Parts: sequence; structure tokens; C-alpha cells
Amino acid sequence: MDDNMKESNASTAFAVKVDDLTVAYNYKPVLWDIDLEIPEGVLMAIVGPNGAGKSTLIKAILGILKPIAGSVSIYGKPYKKQRSLVAYVPQKGSVDWDFPTIALDVVMMGTYGSLGWIKRPGAKEKKAALEALEKVGMLPFKNRQISQLSGGQQQRIFLARALVQDASIYFMDEPFQGVDATTEIAIINILKELRKEGKTVVVVHHDLQTVPEYFDWVTFLNVKKIATGPVKDIFNDDNLTKTYGINYKVSVQK
Amino acid sequence: MSSAQLEIQLIASIVAVACAIPGTFLVLRKMAMISDAISHSILPGIVVGFFITQDLNSPLLILLAALTGVITVALVERIQKTGLVKEDTAIGLVFPVLFSIGVIMIAKNANDVHLDIDAVLLGELAFAPFDRLTVGGTDIGPKSLWVIGTILLITIALLIAFFKELKVSTFDAGLSASLGFSPIIIHYGLMTVASVTTVGAFDAVGAILVVALMIAPAACAYLLTTDLKKMLGLAIFFGVFSAIAGYWVAHWLDASIAGSITTTLGVVFFIIYLFAPSKGLIAVTYREKQQRIEVSLLTFLLHLKNHSEERERHVNHLNEHINWQKVRSKTVLDLALKNNMILINNSIVSLTEKGDAFTSQAINYIVTNEDAQIEDMKEDFFLFRG
Amino acid sequence: MNLQEYFSLVFSDYTLRTITLGTAILGAVTGMLGSFAVLRKQSLLGDAISHAALPGIALAFLITGAKDSNTLLLGALVSGLIGTFWIRGIISKTHLKSDTALGLILSLFFGFGMLLLTFIQKQPNANQAGLDKYLFGQAATLVESDVWLMAIVTGICVVVMLLFWKEFKLLLFDADYTKTLGFNTKFIDILITTFIVLAIVLGLQTVGVVLMSAMLLAPAAAARQWTNSLSKMVLLAAIFGAFSGVFGTAISASQNNLSTGPVIVIVASVFVVFSFIFSPSRGLLFRQIRFINNRRDLELQKTLSFMYRIAETHDDISHPHAIKILNNFQGFTKKTLQKLVNKNYVTIDGTMWSLTEEGFETAANLYNQNFKADV
Repeated sequence: MDDNMKESNASTAFAVKVDDLTVAYNYKPVLWDIDLEIPEGVLMAIVGPNGAGKSTLIKAILGILKPIAGSVSIYGKPYKKQRSLVAYVPQKGSVDWDFPTIALDVVMMGTYGSLGWIKRPGAKEKKAALEALEKVGMLPFKNRQISQLSGGQQQRIFLARALVQDASIYFMDEPFQGVDATTEIAIINILKELRKEGKTVVVVHHDLQTVPEYFDWVTFLNVKKIATGPVKDIFNDDNLTKTYGINYKVSVQK
Repeated sequence: MSSAQLEIQLIASIVAVACAIPGTFLVLRKMAMISDAISHSILPGIVVGFFITQDLNSPLLILLAALTGVITVALVERIQKTGLVKEDTAIGLVFPVLFSIGVIMIAKNANDVHLDIDAVLLGELAFAPFDRLTVGGTDIGPKSLWVIGTILLITIALLIAFFKELKVSTFDAGLSASLGFSPIIIHYGLMTVASVTTVGAFDAVGAILVVALMIAPAACAYLLTTDLKKMLGLAIFFGVFSAIAGYWVAHWLDASIAGSITTTLGVVFFIIYLFAPSKGLIAVTYREKQQRIEVSLLTFLLHLKNHSEERERHVNHLNEHINWQKVRSKTVLDLALKNNMILINNSIVSLTEKGDAFTSQAINYIVTNEDAQIEDMKEDFFLFRG
Repeated sequence: MNLQEYFSLVFSDYTLRTITLGTAILGAVTGMLGSFAVLRKQSLLGDAISHAALPGIALAFLITGAKDSNTLLLGALVSGLIGTFWIRGIISKTHLKSDTALGLILSLFFGFGMLLLTFIQKQPNANQAGLDKYLFGQAATLVESDVWLMAIVTGICVVVMLLFWKEFKLLLFDADYTKTLGFNTKFIDILITTFIVLAIVLGLQTVGVVLMSAMLLAPAAAARQWTNSLSKMVLLAAIFGAFSGVFGTAISASQNNLSTGPVIVIVASVFVVFSFIFSPSRGLLFRQIRFINNRRDLELQKTLSFMYRIAETHDDISHPHAIKILNNFQGFTKKTLQKLVNKNYVTIDGTMWSLTEEGFETAANLYNQNFKADV
């Protein structure tokens, strides 16, 4: 790691700071000694081959998985105290879409965190949810049963649920997985808008071709961190080869 | 030991073997609960068969009841396909209904059917030796011995004939289909054998306890080995052992034979669950603790290699940044010191040559995702077990 | 007693009223909590728990010698909870899968329970009569204090459910997300599981160990077909459960020799079958009808757009064309043509057809029809 990075270690300019994070599933290591600093206001992709621990990294940062070692801080404070600043978009396949509920209800779930225990959502929360649905272009579908939505529409509902949280940092697990082209463009436009508002967005991403077009920051991950930094500086054959193995070739559009 | 006692133990042992064979495959195919469903839903088949044949040991009754079992499986799959409910709900809906129908049929015809609900749940193993089979006037043994013996022979013949197909389709259904054995035929074949066995065994140990004889020996064996042949052998051994030991427990307590066979199985399973060499609770807990330290040590060494700055290598950093509890960081530090991996100089930790080489090798393996080689490596360095 | 007598007596006769009230409350609470079990994909857990409760009943009797149902149910609760947590222990600590763990606990605990029951029966001094009722359930043995217990537990359950409704729903839908919002998922999970075990234990006396699981699943599975809202589903499941309880009790009370459990299960399953077939949005019948209709509509639309493409080439959209040219088109039949005429989209003059103004516009709109249908 270069020394420039180390200098700013103590400052709180980083939205997310991951320190020596090691995670193991059933004590089989998946992530090793990850140090990662994500500056505020970037739109960052996490790329790496299957089984590289991309989703695991996000889940460990969010406290869904318990790491073996290491710590995570959000704007300089432990994650537990900063939960309200963080929103999460899980993988679409992680839930049962046949669950008896409608789109609006799912988006309302985004407000539950700020409500806390027992308190019920009211008019204010409903209004926020409707606005989020509007933003992702799903307002006409607000009363649809969620199983009757297409894959892309379901993903937009998940995005809307995160938007309602009104967080500063957004973590998204493969939001472009199995969505149509229109949705992909709609989502990336919303992400870019979030960045414009100064929010930090971290996306687990699969499609290397679109990295330079969509993102301004990138982290290469394969069990350990390979590289992290601005796309224009580090998204090159060298890092791709290090991440994906010797035979990996990809045409990178600069 | 009287000859009746001997016969009971013989019947119980044969039932145990006949159950253990399909049970092993059910456990491996994650379909253990299907055996529970079958054992319940054969009841209406048995009652109808009994109306027709008036004989619990008649082959026709066994076939009719087994057919109900296969119908159950088909019905569950049909309901699943509608997508209206999930798979486990489909199972949970079908068998209580069929069982209820059976119970009501018995209750409504109590005068004609000499079937007792207790017998349905528990079987009447103690009376099995009194129902003799006679051929041309000579007594050739208890009827149920012949019934379950025949079922066992057929099961063994099928097992030997289709062992390869069963093995392939159990571990890799896709491969099996591409090799030309239809997984569906094997699936329904197995379901038929399980149903026939359940019906045959039902007379001896009762509808619900058949489930125990199918699942528990196989589960015990699965905790001890992953080799299919060994697993079958062990499952049969546990089944027979529990059958005989259970009989004597029942004899001593003067209680239900089937109940005490199951209880013996339960005790056997509990012991194996706790003490199985590598997959038992104690072994797993110990290994997890061990691995936690191993992983921690590797993390620590990796950290040292990654960071040349002194601040990152201060002893106290372990507590602060790596976020470990005091005790654990001390354990890790001691372990690394003992193995000559690190040197501590003015509270600054650095890698020794040995530690450096070890860590480089570890990084290499970790990045290439070759976990198996890390295991070998640990032995090379005689590191973690001391 | 026949069914009519039952219903005329149900309000005046003390015993009948107690029994009916008891089964109704039981059906309601199991239906409600069963919805959660079904949605958490823990449908078979109920089966395992109810079987696992049996040794608890027998042991409670052996230790205390008490016959009163509260003591026995406490034993059932303890052994049901032990079974539940052992199942979790097996799944998380060994490589045995959940189905094996469920089947193991179910059969081993039940076998042990049967051993104890037969052991108790052989005790010379034991006043053991009545333990058998826990196998298949005898609603007739319910007394007023049992019903009070059920009512109180159900009341607590409803209050807790209303209080933590938001959290329950969130956990059921997306457990990981619930964690990131800062909720203690373990607490919610234990709360739900404990109530499910409690409901099962309450039902043992009425429905019995063997069939209790169906009481959890059937009302919930039926209710799911009628609504897409969790609150309505829970409410409907409670209603279905209560009705199954009442009808089941009525039928079994009006016949000799019938345990309550099997009859209630059959009634509940009638609700399920009816819902599977006749539910308007998900049911098999309407699904089939919709499927056929869609295919017809599609044929009609295809024909119309084919005509549209022909008519488009002429300045005058109503220019007549020969019916013959339609014959090459797949999906065209005399019937579809007649339907188009009936809808006033097409007029026929001898062997010639022509699009009407209305038909032309409809066909032009067909292209963005799909989008419009979504909105």
C-alpha cells in the first residue's frame, strides 16, 4: 500500500474504512486481511471472479456476517453507531418474491429502521415511499403483488426501498443481475444522481465491460484486495490479470 | 431365550436392515421427510387392502398400500408444480389428510376391521411369532418373517443390480441423466421400495417408528463416513444393533418393543452426534476453535507482511485495529512466537525468515483458492497443533 | 346426536359450548401462527415439534402423577422446545440436512414417548387413563379451564403480534435486510418460534400429536390463495382455522368413535382444496380459464394486426379484401373472423372483408398494448 493513502488514515474524509478484515465461512477463509478506504462521493464497483468474496465483503461491512478479525468504520465511527447512514440493496434472489405483499409495502420497509421497534409507519413514511417509487419509475405499480413484477421491476423496488432510507452510503449486491436493458439504464442514472448529491455508492458488479462507463472508482477483489482507486488510473490489464488469473484478456475501453 | 423371543429379534433385525438400505439413500437425497409422509399415508391403503384380503400379511395388501405411498409422492410433486405452495408445505398437507382418512375408515368400521390405532402407530411385534405360516400342514415360521424377509431379498437384489445407477443419480442427477439413466425412474423406483418396506415393516414396528428405522441409522452412519458402501454397512449395523438391544430394553421395562428400539436408536444417535470423530458436535466445536486460532494466526502474519510501518506492527495494534479480544490476541501472539514466526522488539512485531516464507506461501495458496494445499502446508510447518 | 341437534344445542349445552369455543380458538391461533411457519418455509417444523412434545407429556405425568392438563402441557412445551433447538443444533453443527434433522427428532422423540406411554400403561397403580387422547386428540375432554388457557395464550399472542407486526413482516420477507436496519433478528426469531411451539402444545389435547402439523399448515395454505396481503392472509387463516375447528368438532361429536383430530384435518383440507381450485387470482380453475382466454385473445389480435398490415397499404382503410388471403395466415379461423365482426372491427360483404374505423384504431394500438396493460 502506498504511503499517500496511509497519511489520510486518521482523517474522517473516508465514507467507509475497512481495517484488516478477515471473514471465514465455516472457518474456511473467504476474505483475507482486507484494508479498504472508500472516499466520500464515489460510485465504486467491486469486481472479481466468482467466489472472490465480493458479496461477503459487503455483508461483513454491514454486520450481516461476523468477521473473524478486523473492524469497519463509517465516517470515522463504528458501524453500529452509524447504521442510519447506510442503506443496503441485497441480491434480488435472496428473498421469496411470492411473499404476500405489494410493491409499496416493500418500499415502506426502508423506513422501518428509522422508526425503530414497535412504532408503525404513518403518512410521512408513506409519502417518502411514494416519492421513492416515483424516482425509480414504479409509481404505477405500487399496488402490484411483488411476484407479478418482472425481474427488472423487482430490482427497482429494492432500489426504491434503499432510497427511502435516505442514507449517505449505499451498498448494492449485483443490482444489474437479470434485469432488462431499460432498467439497467434507469438504475445507473439513479446511481449517478446519488453521486451528484454527494452520496457514496458501492456496487458489486459482474460486467467488466461497463465498468469504465458506469463507475469512477473500482476495487479489485480476489480473496484479498488486489487494488483500489479511480477507474481511469487502475482499471487496466495488469490489475485484471492479477484478479482474474493469467489467461484473462479483456479489451478495456479507455 | 425362547424360540418366540429369538423370532422376534430376528424379525426386528430384518426390518432394521430392510429399512436401513432405502433410508441411506433417502438421507443422502435430502428426502428424509418423504419417508415420514409415506409412513403416514399408507394407512388408507392398508385399510382398503384389509377390507379386501382380511389379512395384514397378504401380498395384495402390501402392494395396495405401497401404491398409496407412491401416490403420495406423486401428489406432493403435483401440488408443488402448481406453485401455489412451497415443497415442504405440500408434504405437510398431503400426509395428514391421507392418514386422517385412514383413521376415520378404521373408526367407522371398528366392528369389521381388527385394526387397532395403537397397532398402527406401534405395531405388534410381540405377537408376530403367533401368526404362523403353514405350508401343507407344516409350520415354517412366522408370517411376518416371510413377508419382511422377501421384501429384504428383493431390496438387496435391486440394490446390487442398480447400485451404480443409484450412486450416480444420488450424487449428480445431471450426470445421471446424461449417462442415460433417467433420474425419474430411479426416483420412483426408490420411492416404491421405500413404500413397500414401510408397509412390510409397519406390521412389526408401526407406521411412525418405521421413519426412525429409516432415518436414524443412516444419519448415524453419515456422521461417521461419506463412503456410500461403508455408510450402508454402518447403517445396517446400527439398525440391527438397536433392534436387538431395544428388544432387551423392552423386555426389561415391560414396555413397547418398537418404542424401545426407537429409544435405543435415539441413544445411539445422541452418542454419535456428540462423539463422532470428525463430524460430531465435540469434534466440530474443537475444530472450529482450533481453526479460529489458525485463521487468526495467518491473518496476523499476513497483516505483518502487508504493513512495513511500525505503527501497524505495534503489539497493541492487535487489540485496536484487528479488533480482537485481549485473550485471543495473546494466544495468537504466543503461538506465533513459539513457532519462531515472529520476533518482538520493543513491542514492535516483525516476521522471522521462517515466518516470511510461510506467509508468502500462504498468500499464494489463498489467492489461488487452493484450500486443500493450505491444509498440507500446516502439517509441513508443524505449526498449529502444538 | 346428529349435526342439527349439535347446532341447536351448541349455545345452550355447557359441554358443547366449551368444546366448540375451545376448538374455534385453537383453530384461530394455529391458523394465525401457521401463516408465519408457512412463509418461513418451516412447514414441517410443526410436525417435528408436535411429535417431540409427546415424551414431555409422559414424563410430566410420571414425575408429578398429575392428570391436569396444564402440568402435562408444560411438559410438552419443554420437550417441544428441546426438540426445536436440537433440530437447529443438528443443522448448524453437523452436515446433516434439515430434512434429516426433522425426521430424526420427530421419530426418535415420538418413539421415546411411546415407550414411556406403554411403560405407564403397565404401571399397576397409575391412573393413566386419558394420556391416549394426546395421540389423536379428544375435544370432548376439554374443560372450561382449558378453554380459558387457550383464550389467554391466544390473547397474548395477538397482542405480541400486533406490537411486533412490522418486525415480524420484515423478518419473514428479508432477514438480512432486517439485520442491517438494526433490529435484533435473534429476538424476533425466538419470539415467533416460541409462539409456534406454544400453539402446537395447546392443540395437542384437541387435535393430537400425530395430526397437529396439519392444523398449522392447512388454514395458512388455504388463506394464501385468496389474498396478497400478509395481514389479510393471517386474518383469513385464523377464520379458516376456527371454522375447521368448529365443523370438525361438530361432525366428530355427532358420530360415535371419531377422534376430533382426523375430522378437523379433513375439514381443513377441504378448505385447502377449495381454495386451490376456486381462488380467483391463483386458483387452478381460473388459471386454466385465463390461459384459454389469453390464447383466444392472442389469435384474435394476431388476425387483426395481420389485417391491419394489409389495410395499411391502401389509402382507404376500409378498402375491401378477399377473405381468401387470410387463409394462409396461421391462427385464422371462421370463428375468429366472426368474432371480429361481432366486435365491430371488421365488416364482411360476401367473400370480401374490410376493416372498420374502430378496428383500424384498435389494431394500431395493439403495438403498445402490452405496455398499457402494465399501467
